[in-house]
Amino acid sequence: MSASYLDELGDDDAIVARLRDGDDKAFAALIDRYHATMLRLARGYVATKEAAEDVVQETWLGVIRGIDGFESRASLKTWIFRILVNRATTRGERESRTRPFSSLAAEVDEPTVDPNRFIDSGRWQGFWSVPPTRHVIPEQHVLASEASDRVLRAVDALPPNQQVVITLRDIQGLSAADVCDLLSISEANQRVLLHRARSKVRAVLEVYLDDRAVKS
Amino acid sequence: MLQPEVRCVEFVDEVTVWMEGGLTDDQRLLLEEHLSICPHCTRYLDQLRATLALLHDADKGLSESPSPSARDELMAVFREMRRD
Repeated sequence: MSASYLDELGDDDAIVARLRDGDDKAFAALIDRYHATMLRLARGYVATKEAAEDVVQETWLGVIRGIDGFESRASLKTWIFRILVNRATTRGERESRTRPFSSLAAEVDEPTVDPNRFIDSGRWQGFWSVPPTRHVIPEQHVLASEASDRVLRAVDALPPNQQVVITLRDIQGLSAADVCDLLSISEANQRVLLHRARSKVRAVLEVYLDDRAVKS
Repeated sequence: MLQPEVRCVEFVDEVTVWMEGGLTDDQRLLLEEHLSICPHCTRYLDQLRATLALLHDADKGLSESPSPSARDELMAVFREMRRD
């Protein structure tokens, strides 16, 4: 069963209509499209892979039951992610885990870039001492799967709240407003988390580009 | 060389807010002025943009699926619910 069936169907309205009509091929394609993303998001809230799988399973059941009530004010995927976040939050609380978005104020300020890479005194304090190396950044299709793999692993290594925000914003392409609403966080908090996440993932890409240049 | 008003360390700190359109006009002009004369920060921004391009839909190819039993349960519930 292929997720590209969703592309054939076209927009959210068409997909939702098929789901309401009981087209199980459409439902299976929806699972194929979003299951991996949902598992990764759920991992930000619960302790184990098994718990995350439970959360995603409950979410799919919620999708089946709720699809008649879906209103196209939000996109279908935002609506599915909302169900996921609700289930994951409930499950995380049952496990008495700290909610990923409750502790932002207490977090220490992290530097965007290693402070050792800037001049630390004198007239040029705060300017690069070790600037990013000049690389011709290859076209994306040349970087292809290896680099993509690296950045995805870098996302996995982030603290849960940063991981959830960058996944929704940069991998899934949700708007800032949707993400704030979905996670019940302020615009400013969303930006801080996104900034930290992007900064760290860029640093991983930089190392990758540097290594690649040495090898070739 | 005349020193720009924004330092590199400030550029990298503010770049996300800038990309998100969250700066005032004055702040934005200062940041863009820095960018126009600083090749290092330009490279930094290029790498950041390359990162975003790589992240876009990066998880689309992942073929994680529910376990066969979980999938069977979902499909059975779907057929059951939608039959009515």
